[in-house]
Amino acid sequence: MIIQNFNHKMAAHCESGTITSLLNHGGLDITEPLVFGIASGIFFGYFHKMKSFVFPTFIVRNKPGQMRTNLEKRLSVRFKTYDFKDPVKGMQTLDQLLQRNIPTAAQVDFFYMDYVPSWERVHINVHFLVVAGKEEGKYIISDAYFPKMAQLDGLSLEKGRFAAGNMSPKGFIFHLDKLPAEIDYNKAITKGIKKACFYMLKIPVPFLGIKGMRLFARKVLEWPKFARDTEHLSHEIMKINILLEDQGTGGAGFRFMYATFLQQAAEMTGKPALKELSGELMQIGDGWREISLFSARIGKNRDLGPDKLKQLSEMINDRADVEERFFKSLSKAIS
Amino acid sequence: MPAPSEDLKLEIKKLIMATLAITDIDPNDVDDEKPLFGGDNALTLDSVDAIEIIMAIQRTYGIRIADQNLARQVIGSIGSIARFITEQQANPTT
Repeated sequence: MIIQNFNHKMAAHCESGTITSLLNHGGLDITEPLVFGIASGIFFGYFHKMKSFVFPTFIVRNKPGQMRTNLEKRLSVRFKTYDFKDPVKGMQTLDQLLQRNIPTAAQVDFFYMDYVPSWERVHINVHFLVVAGKEEGKYIISDAYFPKMAQLDGLSLEKGRFAAGNMSPKGFIFHLDKLPAEIDYNKAITKGIKKACFYMLKIPVPFLGIKGMRLFARKVLEWPKFARDTEHLSHEIMKINILLEDQGTGGAGFRFMYATFLQQAAEMTGKPALKELSGELMQIGDGWREISLFSARIGKNRDLGPDKLKQLSEMINDRADVEERFFKSLSKAIS
Repeated sequence: MPAPSEDLKLEIKKLIMATLAITDIDPNDVDDEKPLFGGDNALTLDSVDAIEIIMAIQRTYGIRIADQNLARQVIGSIGSIARFITEQQANPTT
């Protein structure tokens, strides 16, 4: 059976899309950008040398799971979460929830989601989707990246839920447990924006926020020493494009989604300055997209002339400058 | 919603070919409804070409295709790009 009245919708990002779906099903009329913004999803972090990464990398959103926990605090909604050591118990619990007509979000390794064409599937242990029913032994999946509801056999879902490796899902599932009678959106939006500004401007960690962008701009010049050869270096530079555009970011490393949030927030809070800032962030996002394109061209053409990394560094530094000004203005507009 | 004009479709083909420096194909040989990515279209494009096209559309028509899911649908074929531009020009949402 498919859970009654569950509506599948595509979304820009798997985690914010999944949370939005559960909230919508529970009766809360909220958009994905609003979920993302209230949860302070926008972020930046650069990791030059970390045990978990074989090559320097960066992130453009807060860590997986944090959108849900931030949203719980700011909207007073409650999600019930479960994780498991035993796959059998993990699948039984999921089945029991579905029998109770509860759409349930699951963390999976995207690679095992075989309703997606094989060339699009990669091993990512932090993909989120909604299991919205079970029919003739197959699970009904609402995946924000897939245009319609899909079917997945139990073994593939189990493999995805209990995949090993970095950030392994451990069978993690969650569902909506409680919605408050009333939500103070003004307060939630204000808190979400203030926290995002803190993360971007003031977090006292040298590789996070705007400081992280500047570090990225400096350290990208050192990337050749991490690479085996030109082929490897080109491939790693091309990943900048993938991280900004291709991994459910809503475009330009989540900047476009956050701009949409600010536009909606302007109307809900009656603060027109947020609408102006939304337009500004769209322009900033265009600059990130230029970086994507620049990186993708380097990757495709294996074009690593002497000035390319310097140009890339300058482009990133420029984003740091404009985002620093932007978040200072945003901080002022919301205070 | 008016159907996109043949002129617009030809203009899009020329824009794509100029953007991607494709010189060995006649725009008239590109089928309006065949997939631009994979398939047996005269143009066989990849994901890097996709972002080039998205940005060329933005620069030329002032229409931003922000979301990747939407982008995948919009740039699926010449016809879908033309329909999107026509729709956005009539009723801008971005």
